[in-house]
Amino acid sequence: MPTMSAWSALAWRSSLRRLAIGAVAGALVSLVCGLGANQPELAQTAKPADAPLTCATCHAGVAASYSHAGMRHALESPGANPVLETHPKLRYQIGQYSYTVETKSGQSTYTVSVGTDSLTLPIRWMFGQHSQTWVLEKDGNMYESLVSYFHENESLGETPGDDYATPHNLTEAIGRKLDTTKINRCFNCHATNAVDGVKVTLDKLTPGLDCNRCHEGAQQHMADAAHDNFATLPRKLRTMNSEDAANFCGQCHRTWDTVVRNGWKGIPDVRFQPYRLELSKCFTGNDRRTSCLACHDPHQQVNHNAGYYDSKCLACHAPQKASNMAGSSTTSAATKTCPVAKANCVTCHMPKVQPPGIHATFTDHMIRIAKAGEPYPY
Amino acid sequence: MPMPERFHPSLTEKSLGILLLFALLPVIPTSTVAQEQPAKFEDLAARAAAAREQENLPLAIELYGQAEQLKPDWPEGWFYLGLLQYLSDRFPPAIDAFNHLLALQPNSPAVMALRGICEFETAAYDDALRDLDQAVKGGAANEPHNEPIIRIHYAELLAHAGRFQPALIQYRTLASKQVDDPDMRLGVGLAGMQSTTLPEDVSSEDRELYTAVGNAGCAFLSDDSQTADTLFSKLFAQYPTTPELHFFYGTLLSMRGAELAIPQFQSEVAIAPNNVQAHALLAFWLMFAGRFAEARPEAELAVAAAPNMEVARVTLARSLAETGDVERAAELLNQVIKNDPDNLEAHLGLAAVYARSGRREDAYHERMVCLGLEK
Repeated sequence: MPTMSAWSALAWRSSLRRLAIGAVAGALVSLVCGLGANQPELAQTAKPADAPLTCATCHAGVAASYSHAGMRHALESPGANPVLETHPKLRYQIGQYSYTVETKSGQSTYTVSVGTDSLTLPIRWMFGQHSQTWVLEKDGNMYESLVSYFHENESLGETPGDDYATPHNLTEAIGRKLDTTKINRCFNCHATNAVDGVKVTLDKLTPGLDCNRCHEGAQQHMADAAHDNFATLPRKLRTMNSEDAANFCGQCHRTWDTVVRNGWKGIPDVRFQPYRLELSKCFTGNDRRTSCLACHDPHQQVNHNAGYYDSKCLACHAPQKASNMAGSSTTSAATKTCPVAKANCVTCHMPKVQPPGIHATFTDHMIRIAKAGEPYPY
Repeated sequence: MPMPERFHPSLTEKSLGILLLFALLPVIPTSTVAQEQPAKFEDLAARAAAAREQENLPLAIELYGQAEQLKPDWPEGWFYLGLLQYLSDRFPPAIDAFNHLLALQPNSPAVMALRGICEFETAAYDDALRDLDQAVKGGAANEPHNEPIIRIHYAELLAHAGRFQPALIQYRTLASKQVDDPDMRLGVGLAGMQSTTLPEDVSSEDRELYTAVGNAGCAFLSDDSQTADTLFSKLFAQYPTTPELHFFYGTLLSMRGAELAIPQFQSEVAIAPNNVQAHALLAFWLMFAGRFAEARPEAELAVAAAPNMEVARVTLARSLAETGDVERAAELLNQVIKNDPDNLEAHLGLAAVYARSGRREDAYHERMVCLGLEK
């Protein structure tokens, strides 16, 4: 990845102004800026010189691709939900309680009924881009919806983790009541500026993860960059080693420490990818080839093509590249090559798992020789 | 020692005894009485039971005592003798009766609990703690009517022995069941403020503070976070320089998350810079929150002041590992593990150290150890 001294950055920024004025495409931007490295080169959007500065002003390519990424849409507010627009009436039954999620004119409501009683609440927050769980408000309290929308079967089902709950009345049937800590945790991972220290600041939040949710200091950097000061660059996350990346992503996707400290075990843990990855025998903390970021670019949508990941596996397991790869300080490990196949590695070594009661399939990030019929490890 | 109100014979105590009796009946071999004893014993036993039912405690005690002289292996007699002595505030003879009963039936958590409470009353606190510990572990507190009196005594003894966290766990169990008791609130205040004083020994001038702290603590432990926060905020305003207040709230908040607890421990060390435990816990929760660079100096300070404090050593080691000094980290962690092989935090730290050092197989081994240790 190219690095930039303060001097060269300054010179580059001055050049950019001229380029913007001249409305010249800025492919140069993604080459020079750390954040844009390894991105497909997208056209730089030139903005008028007096337009407000945003991250996209300089990082247009990344910003454009990130606008479609899952994390960007981790939370949606009402009126921005194509899933519910295309499924205007959804129904589900849990015991004696009937659930209806109805969408009309951009407004979605969540109704729970039992006998002749019913309770209808507006859907205030939509967590998730494809599969969704909703947060609802009643009498000043927040509730995680007891039913969720599952993308795989395009229907409602019980919210993972809430399937043990047996409601005794309509209010309980809404879903799990969220205390301040849970509200803090939910919104902190699904939105930006939702939390200030320990306080939940829902009035200030931006739905989904904005740039500065991960790139701490981005706002300062942007303010300084406007004055040609590039001394306050945010940390370059792509340079994190595997251990740091797992801990960083694990803030929301759950770290090894978090899962172990809580004693969580079993198939539902397949959702906690950093934890599962660190269970892999090949995981090496100081080797970027086993980093979350080796396979995933958070600025892009997840690639569901198994073949896409082959090059990542072969970075270690190709015979001619046994060790001494860039980004690795491990020289002693003799890597094994696969005697079965040379393509679509993840289909065997990272099997798909559907946790019980969850209408969604997850890739098990515990990389291993998975044998047919073997129990789910750990 | 003046007797607190609740230890006087009362309906509560009587119902406790009756309930305990119900708990015991299945294990008391009453049939042996009729089969093996002469008529005089049977007569005494019947008269003792009648006196007990008529609530004539002195007569019942006398008759049970005479019956036990005739047949010292009669468990039911020892039980009632002990219970009635207890209800009469005659604690040493009650303990003696329960000793006899426990010699005959050693595995009786309910009797162990009664003896423990009597020992408490005679200020035999070590014996009382041992008995109540065993009784609670044996399930004596599972009976809802007996649970408050057993757990409150047990918690007071734990705090008296300096075991504040286990004491608060006992109080939490009661608070979560919406038990509300003035002694419990005072006890929570004392345990929260790290005081080994027993509630009955609290001076009148200190009682107000401890009760107020206990009220705030009980609100938190009964899941009323909002009231707890209001009450603690009032306390901080009223007692701005009192040590242990922020420490207590930090300890409670740590159950909800490290980030909530950290500001409280920061306030505590600002008020009481020499509170090593506060520095250690501040470091620990900073580490837990992944704020290793901030944790490191606090942990260094705590280890310098208390080199054998395990939580400080583990925290320092983990912070060192995550901030670049993996060699010193590994050395410290291995020292901790040598003394405490099942220390999960130390193994988590060692796994991180090895991962960062590129020692893949060692890291994997440590992770497997962690999985074997997790709760």
